[in-house]
Amino acid sequence: MNQIVSQSGQHAGGMKELISFRIGAQEFCVDIMAIREIRGWTAATALPQSPSFVKGVINLRGAVLPIVDLASRLGFESTEASDRNVIIVAQIGEQVVGLLVDAVSDILTITDDMIQPTPDVASETAKTFVRGLIPMEGRMISLIGLERVLPDMELEAA
Amino acid sequence: MDALAAIRDVFFQECEEQLAELESGLLAMEGGDTDPETINAVFRAVHSIKGGAGAFSLEALIRFAHVFETALDEMRSGRLAPSSDVLKTMLRAADVLADLVRAARVDEDGQHPHAATLAEELKAMSGAAGEADETEEDWGDFEFQPMAAAMDAPEAPAGPTGFVVTFKPRADLYAKANEAALLLRELGRLGAVEVELDAHDVPPLHEMDPEAAYLAWTITVTGDADEAAIREVFEWVDGDCELNIQAIGGEAEGDDGAEAAFDLSALLARVQGDAPAEAAPEPEAPIAAAFEPIPEPPVVAAPVVAAAPAPLAPPAAANEPSPDGQAGGGARKAEAAAGATIRVDLDRVDRLIDLVGELVINQAVLAQRVMEAGLARASAVAMGLDELEQLTREIQDSVMAIRAQPVKSVFQRMPRLVREVAAMTGKPVRLVTEGEGTEVDKTVIERLADPLTHMIRNAIDHGLESPEKRAAAGKPAEGVVRLSAAHRSGRIVIEVADDGGGINRERVKSIAIEKGLISAEATLSDEEIDNLIFMPGFSTASEVSDISGRGVGMDVVRRSIQALGGRITITSRPGKGSIFTMSLPLTLAVLDGMVVSVQGQTLVAPITAIVETLQPKASDVHSLGGHARVISIRGGFVPLIDVGMALGYRREPLPATQGVALLIEGEGGARAALLCDAIQGQRQVVIKSLEANYRQVPGVAAATILGDGRVALILDIDTIVAVSRGEMRKAG
Repeated sequence: MNQIVSQSGQHAGGMKELISFRIGAQEFCVDIMAIREIRGWTAATALPQSPSFVKGVINLRGAVLPIVDLASRLGFESTEASDRNVIIVAQIGEQVVGLLVDAVSDILTITDDMIQPTPDVASETAKTFVRGLIPMEGRMISLIGLERVLPDMELEAA
Repeated sequence: MDALAAIRDVFFQECEEQLAELESGLLAMEGGDTDPETINAVFRAVHSIKGGAGAFSLEALIRFAHVFETALDEMRSGRLAPSSDVLKTMLRAADVLADLVRAARVDEDGQHPHAATLAEELKAMSGAAGEADETEEDWGDFEFQPMAAAMDAPEAPAGPTGFVVTFKPRADLYAKANEAALLLRELGRLGAVEVELDAHDVPPLHEMDPEAAYLAWTITVTGDADEAAIREVFEWVDGDCELNIQAIGGEAEGDDGAEAAFDLSALLARVQGDAPAEAAPEPEAPIAAAFEPIPEPPVVAAPVVAAAPAPLAPPAAANEPSPDGQAGGGARKAEAAAGATIRVDLDRVDRLIDLVGELVINQAVLAQRVMEAGLARASAVAMGLDELEQLTREIQDSVMAIRAQPVKSVFQRMPRLVREVAAMTGKPVRLVTEGEGTEVDKTVIERLADPLTHMIRNAIDHGLESPEKRAAAGKPAEGVVRLSAAHRSGRIVIEVADDGGGINRERVKSIAIEKGLISAEATLSDEEIDNLIFMPGFSTASEVSDISGRGVGMDVVRRSIQALGGRITITSRPGKGSIFTMSLPLTLAVLDGMVVSVQGQTLVAPITAIVETLQPKASDVHSLGGHARVISIRGGFVPLIDVGMALGYRREPLPATQGVALLIEGEGGARAALLCDAIQGQRQVVIKSLEANYRQVPGVAAATILGDGRVALILDIDTIVAVSRGEMRKAG
């Protein structure tokens, strides 16, 4: 999987590669350029005084990696993590974060015009994270922006 | 431009090294070192700085270095005795030189408030040395024009007789209504004269004393006049000026031809030695800056040999390479002794340290897996793993050693501080340093400078008594501050000790009461009183002095030491002095921790904060409203904090008797007992940042990775205590 990640990149002509994954019955995707690696679940060390969607921290080859339960973050029921779950290691700005998801399903190559704007729905989380919708073989895949995945530093630290 | 900037950088880097060499050399001499190599090293240091400064046209630096060098040369050649006073001036000159170098580094060419006065002192010293020795000449006060001398010297032997007269009036000469111009005119009657004015000493206008004497003249008199006639001219000003009359050419009537020849060689040597200072943008200077002063010593070294009492050097000595052979050889020897070193970017070292840290963890995980797989201890795999473990430990130690540096680099800054503070307070102080070679992590060293500076200031300002009081107490007038470092059980222990009056406990106590730090009725042990000085808002100086009273007290020192994972203690004996002892970890990358479990989580408490561990007895634990509990320890009550509750790992408090309590002492000496489920053991752990990928978590200082590959959190004890205290207040 690592190799796929390192070989792929932005294609010319507005082509984009996305990695899609499942949380419950829904499908989501993120820009593959943000993904560093994909690894299996290992038990995390719980962090005190953290939002419920932060599962804790794990050791990623010597670095301390926070794990965000993406289901919980997106407003679904929180995941009871097991060996079947997968952690997507993503680079968000200067930080590296692990995203807990149910399974990684595919790598999609799309063009920008395939992304449809998010319809105006009431859900706050949808507005916060969903950047657009991609129809794919009769399914709907939500494109997620990762910038807001981690808890808001200034707000919560105070 | 870039290349030049790079050379400039190298020059300043080397300047720092030369300055360090200079200071340690002078200090060694002050300590009684009479090895000629030491003074040579000192001389070389100043000389190299001058040479390099020439390449970059740093005028102020060149000028000062030149005067300094001249004085050192006097000393090197034995004309100036390295007395304690002389060395003290030299040390101050070294400080000024260091300042000038630093000023030049930031803004091309700086001015220094003390440079002019010190230059005067140095000149006076080299001048005095010349006068003290009658057979020698007063060289320190003037500079020859290299051209004139270069022509004079070789042609002189057969040429016409003449004299070089150097004449420097003192203020008294003018005060007695004498006039230099008249004397010069008088000289003109004796023969052909060539007069050269030396206005080198004329200060800037605002510093000029209208009644002082700043000018000097060098007069070359050629003709039939003899020395007596010249002396006669100056008969009336004898004693009110510095006068030197030296024969040039074949001083035939001189009964000692060898001596005349020696003078010439010395003259030549000096003139050539001085030349670079005159011609600032010296072409070979970059080389001189980059390497040791090999281009110069042949000539400068000559007087050393020439001045040796027994065999006077032949005139040719000045041009012979033999003295250089000695000096250069010495330099090479010194370099070899210093060991071969390379400069490495710190980032690369840190990256390596990170990688080795990962290797150690990986190795531990692997070992555990092999154990779990049920392989026999004697199996080849298990034995191979044992070897791997040993190797990884060794690699870790060696890599950590790369970052380790001797504390010398920070100790070296202290003599100067001591001199400055001693001058400001008027207390004579001797600084004794021990264990400068003790190594500790670079970051620790960097962060040690400030607290050490403050403690030494304090030791002199508050610790040492005034000379009168010392005399009354039967102590020598000179106070002693001892700065020492040593390794003790995996930590570095640094002590700052003074032989002053010790802590005035009565006064400390009354001040603490006055400032509301303790209640008036409090009965405190001597030790507790001594420790009051670490409390925030405590300062014993009744008036805010320039030295210690900058709004920072010992509490700041204590905090910065604690931030380094260290502890500071004081022991004081009335009339004998005080000793501040700091114990610091050797590196900031690892921490000695107590590994505990709380509600299934593994946590690490820094051992530096732990005073003792205890098993709470039901009878010792008391409820204090709500969830708050206190535990009685030897008669006192300290809050009992359930770590699991404080971190939100559990909702219901752990019954105190089912756990283990860590008695801790936090910032400011506040004590508390932390209740944990069990103690797993004591371990050195590698500190990992939590903020790098996440953010700060209240109650957690950092994270670490344990042998099983899992992350464990390191407790931030002060926050936990503070938070619990807040909750207790709410509850109560």
